[in-house]
Order: sequence, then structure tokens, then C-alpha cells
Amino acid sequence: MSHVTPKSKPISEKRVDLSVRIGKLQLKNPILTASGTFGYGDEYAHVVDLSVLGAVVTKTVTVKPRPGNAPTRVAETASGMLNSIGLENVGLERFRSEKLPRLAKLKATVIASIGGETPEELETLLGALGNEPGVGAFEVNFSCPNVAAGGARFWADPARLERTLVGLRRLTDRPLIAKLSPDVTDIRETARACERGGADAVTAVNTFVGLALDLDRMRSKLGKATGGLSGPAIKPLALARCWEASGAIGIPVVGSGGIVSGRDALEFIAVGATAVQVGTATFVEPEAATRVLAEMRTWLAQHGHAKLSSLIGAVQAPAAQEPAKPHA
Amino acid sequence: MATTTRTWRQVSARVRTQREYGAGFRWLELEMPAGFAAPVAGQFVQLLLDPPSPVLLPRPMSVASVSKKGTKLVVGFLYAPVGTGTQAIARLEPGSTIGVTGPLGQGYPLDEPGTPVLVAGGRGVAPLLMAADVLAKSRRRCEFVFGARTASLLVGLAEARERLAKRGSKLHLATDDGTRGFKGNVVQMLDRLAPKLAGPLVIYSCGPHGMLAAVARWAMANGARAHLAMESVMACGTGVCRGCPLPRSAEARDRVLATGADAAPLQGNPEWAMCCTDGPVFEARELDWDRVE
Ligand SMILES: Cc1cc2nc3c(=O)[nH]c(=O)nc-3n(C[C@H](O)[C@H](O)[C@H](O)COP(=O)(O)OP(=O)(O)OC[C@H]3O[C@@H](n4cnc5c(N)ncnc54)[C@H](O)[C@@H]3O)c2cc1C
Ligand SMILES: Cc1cc2nc3c(=O)[nH]c(=O)nc-3n(C[C@H](O)[C@H](O)[C@H](O)COP(=O)(O)O)c2cc1C
Ligand code: FES
Repeated sequence: MSHVTPKSKPISEKRVDLSVRIGKLQLKNPILTASGTFGYGDEYAHVVDLSVLGAVVTKTVTVKPRPGNAPTRVAETASGMLNSIGLENVGLERFRSEKLPRLAKLKATVIASIGGETPEELETLLGALGNEPGVGAFEVNFSCPNVAAGGARFWADPARLERTLVGLRRLTDRPLIAKLSPDVTDIRETARACERGGADAVTAVNTFVGLALDLDRMRSKLGKATGGLSGPAIKPLALARCWEASGAIGIPVVGSGGIVSGRDALEFIAVGATAVQVGTATFVEPEAATRVLAEMRTWLAQHGHAKLSSLIGAVQAPAAQEPAKPHA
Repeated sequence: MATTTRTWRQVSARVRTQREYGAGFRWLELEMPAGFAAPVAGQFVQLLLDPPSPVLLPRPMSVASVSKKGTKLVVGFLYAPVGTGTQAIARLEPGSTIGVTGPLGQGYPLDEPGTPVLVAGGRGVAPLLMAADVLAKSRRRCEFVFGARTASLLVGLAEARERLAKRGSKLHLATDDGTRGFKGNVVQMLDRLAPKLAGPLVIYSCGPHGMLAAVARWAMANGARAHLAMESVMACGTGVCRGCPLPRSAEARDRVLATGADAAPLQGNPEWAMCCTDGPVFEARELDWDRVE
């Protein structure tokens, strides 16, 4: 592995420049909330100053409101959780008329997550929101594991991803971030398709499909058989996907999966992520995202790194590595 | 009525006491730091074990008592160590710390007019002990119906008896097997009791969902109001993850659709109410009891 020479002389935290860029969106730091784990932002606004975060990624919004799946929707697993929420959300109209104005008042940089069962639905959403002044960028959720139509499986087809992004690209001048599922044979294929389609970045990754059983009742713990696995349990898996994706494309990668500390966040940056998302950790500790940010800043200062962006991809992507030698 | 002002905080609290409570239950008292709002009866908190914790998510727990010791707010819980998380909570010694997020959810509207009837099933007695205290402070007498399968599962009976006696409220016991008090369930008890009470009745209840459904149906059939404290598996406890749905009644669905949004919490989903923010206390007419699991 390549290796950044440790700069042993600590510097003041004030001197650490955390700013990063995704397409033309300049972020004051790389810490984002993960879609679906921070609501529409205002739910946490009395305990978290949203304006200090890199951006708030809002719950995936669809054209029509969705009531979500029948119970049970969540189950804890070893160091993680499964969810089968089913994209419950308020729908486009209320998102635009109620949620965006509140986020604007809270001075948050907003990345709006949009989801659809078809390319046409995504176009409707982007047609409506594409020029909203309160939205800094869009994250397109191509990876929900919990919906019958338009979920991760549907969007796992590189050709479909590329075609869809070409269509979306025309509808907004804001950065488009494609959020990818880890449950594909090769995430480099889907990531490259997004780049070809005109995405400004990809998020790697959404939850992994998982199953938890209640053996006494001989049924799934969730109302639907499977759900999406998140939390610390998936961090090594997500880190590997993030590493693979960033090695395959030239556009930025946003890391997601199991991040609970500043060190976790920096590991994703080191394998090539330009920004990272804090998800499940927020359910445990509502102030997780701001703590991760503070820990990241402290680590960089202690290690004498004045510029976070110089660490992006400090650990080289797999393509550039020696083939792994078999071990005994 | 629900409000949109959020007052919950996540704080680190100190264990003041922890002891056996009988029938396998435990009593835990936490000393809260300044800035933690006093919970009302029916509200809950999320208890988060300090690291290293054997579980990831916090555990929801109803508030069973709120008192002041000097300037400190002390919050009590009655709980059963049923699994990994609650068993780890049971091992906490006085003086150790634990994370608390709260107060969460909508409590009992104890100021509703009518004769208050508190109906507890098993460990559902926890929030009702507190409700009885609050009613007593506002000089309202209540009827306290306490039911369980068998006498030994009348958790904290001595405690309930002592608290109620001081206030001139009446305790009515019911066991399915007749080992204590009336032989039968709490709904049969309500049938016997109701004619002797000055109407209208306002019921506050907590217990297993099956019992709550029966109490809710009884209230609707008998023209009483009933406020029932529900449970659900939870992740966030704050309305964000949308992980704790309960089925709304047709009446509630129509109202949410007509107003566009719910009076308070968040998103006004016409199909599902969230236990953590729309509840955990619901009036009987808000939920579809045929679909409650
Ligand atoms: C609003 C609310 C208030 C509650 N108040 C109390 C209380 O005052 N006293 C008390 O003893 N318990 C209360 N509970 C239940 C308590 O939260 C669970 O017993 C606890 O989460 C179990 O955690 P565990 O790690 O010990 O068990 P786990 O290993 O997580 O589970 C053990 C068993 O408990 C069941 N369980 C898990 N979570 C819940 C849940 N949220 N509700 C019901 N069953 C669950 C599981 O299905 C399993 O059978 C309340 C729950 C809610 C939602
Ligand atoms: C309850 C829950 C709801 C989620 N909802 C969404 C969603 O609406 N849209 C989306 O793109 N991702 C959603 N996710 C995935 C997260 O944004 C995140 O990518 C994933 O949980 C992995 O990160 P984590 O381990 O930090 O949670 C959800 C995750 C959880 C746990
Ligand atoms: S537990 Fe997250 S919404 Fe209720």
C-alpha cells in the first residue's frame, strides 16, 4: 500500500482546511448526513447546528407520498441493524413547500435525495426541483433494497443507469450524485456507467440486503423477508466497495456504510472518498455527525495535515496495486 | 395534544439506585443532569449503554416516576431484563453512567374531564404508577385496575397499594386464574366497575397489546375515552427512521388526509402512525385495533 509520510508536527485545528468539492458544489467539510437517517433535517435541528455540516442529505423523496411498509420495519443485528422502511416519505409537493423552506431557515447545505420506480419518475422530480434555490445537489437513490418496484435490483443494470442519467443531466445544472447498491457483481461497472451518463459523483454504498430470523416463530424478524443492513457491521464491506469504485472512475466518490467516528470517516477518505455520510450512528447518538467532524479535525491537526483534500485516495486504488500474493 | 416543539436531549445520567422489584422485574433510578426536561406520565426515554456495549441501539423505556432530590431530577424505571440490552442495564452499579435521550413521545393527557380509570396489565403498571401520582397531586381520585395472569405477576403490587392508599384512590385487582382479587381479565373488571362510577370515564392504560386492544374496544363500545400506551420495536425513538409504525384507524386516516398534515409530528402519514412520536400514547379511536400486532 502507498503511504503518506506521517507529518509528525501537530498544527492548530484552526489551520485545518476541510473543504472539498463535488462537481460545482463547494462543501465546507466532507461530513454529510446519510439519506433516511436524518429525516428532513429539522427533526434534529434543536440539538445539531445543521449549518456546520458539509451538507444534509434529506430522506429520499418520491413523486407521490409513500406510506412505507407494514411492520416490523427494523431489527437489530450484531453491530448493525436491518431496516425495511419502504421509502416512507412526504412526496414531492410537501417536500418542496414545507421541508425545503425549513432547511433554508436552518442554513443547511441541502443535498436532496430523489427516488423513482422509473426513469420518468426521476425526470418528473428533477423537472420540479432541478432549479430550486434551496438545493445544492441531488443524490439519486438507485439502490433502495426495500421497495417492490424501482429498487436496487432494477437499477443494477449499467445500461439503464447510464441512459437514465443522460436524461436527468439535461434537467438540472446542480451536481448529480448516483447512490449505488453494494449488491452487484462488480460495483466498478455501475460506477463507470454513472460516470458515462454524466453523474458528478457516486455514493458508495447503500445498505446490503440482509435477513434476520426469529427462530421461535420460524419467520423473518421483519414484516418483509429481507431488509437493508447498516451500521458498524458493514464498514469493512462498504470500505472495500468505496475503494473499488474510486479506483474505477474519475469523478468523486461519497463514502457511506458504518461510519461512527472521525477515524472511520478518514479511512473512507484515504481509499478515495471525497466526502462521507453518517447514517445509523445518528440513531444511537443524534449528534454523531458533528462529533465525527470534530474528531476528524482533531486527528488531522494532530497529524499535521493542513489540507484534508490532500489525503483523498492516499491509499491507492486496487487497480494500481500489485496483485495480492497468496498467503499460507 | 401533540406539539412540534422538541425538548428532548441526549445526556449522560448517573445510576442512583438499582434493585429487585419482584417477579423478575427491576427498579432503576437515574439522576439526570441539568437541562433534561421533566418527563410526563406516558412518555419514554431511550437508554444507551456506555461503550463498550453489547448492543448497538438504545433501548426504549417508559418513565415510572419523576421526583426531585435536592436540585436533581430523578427518573425511575420498572423493567424486565429480557434480553442482551436490558440484562446489561441490570448489571449497572450505583454511580455508573448511562446515556439517556428524552423525554420522548406523547404522554397521557391526564387533565381530560371525567372519572379517571387506570388500567394496568403486568409490567404496564410502570407509567400508570406515575400517572396515579400526578392525578393525586392535582387532587383527583382515581380507580386503579391492575390485572395479570396470576398473582405473582402483579408487579410492584405493594408499591402500587401504598401509593394509592395515601391518595384515597381505589385499587381493583384481577387475575386470570383467580389467585388474587377478581377472577377474570381487566375488561370483565371494567364491566363490573363501570356502573358504580360517575360517568363519563376516561381510561389510561398500559399493558400487552392484546389487552390494550380489548380495553380500546370496550371504551369505544361504552362511550368512554381511552388513552393507551403502545410499544413497538424502535431504532431512533425520535421520528426520524420511520421504523415504528402502528396502523391508523379509518377515522384517523381520513383526518390526516383532510388536513394534509398531522397536528404535530412530522410527516402526517395517513396509513401509519409512528409509535415514538405520534405515541406512544394513543386514544382508542386513533388506531385500527384489528391490525395492531
Ligand atoms: C415506548 C416503549 C416503552 C417501553 N417501556 C418498558 C418498560 O417500562 N419496562 C420494560 O421492561 N420494557 C419496556 N419496553 C420494552 C423494552 O424496550 C424491551 O424489552 C427492550 O428493548 C429489549 O431489549 P433487550 O436488548 O433486552 O432485548 P432484545 O434482545 O432486543 O429482545 C428480547 C426480547 O424483547 C423483544 N423486544 C425487543 N424490543 C422490544 C420492544 N421495543 N418492545 C417490545 N418487545 C421488544 C424482542 O422481540 C425479544 O423477544 C418499552 C418499549 C417501548 C417501545
Ligand atoms: C432506517 C434507514 C432508512 C434509510 N433510508 C434511506 C433512503 O431513504 N434513501 C437512501 O438513499 N438511503 C437510505 N438509507 C441508507 C443510508 O443512507 C446509508 O447509506 C446506509 O444506512 C449505510 O450507512 P450507515 O451504516 O452509516 O447507516 C437508510 C438507512 C436506514 C438505516
Ligand atoms: S423509532 Fe425511529 S421513527 Fe420511531
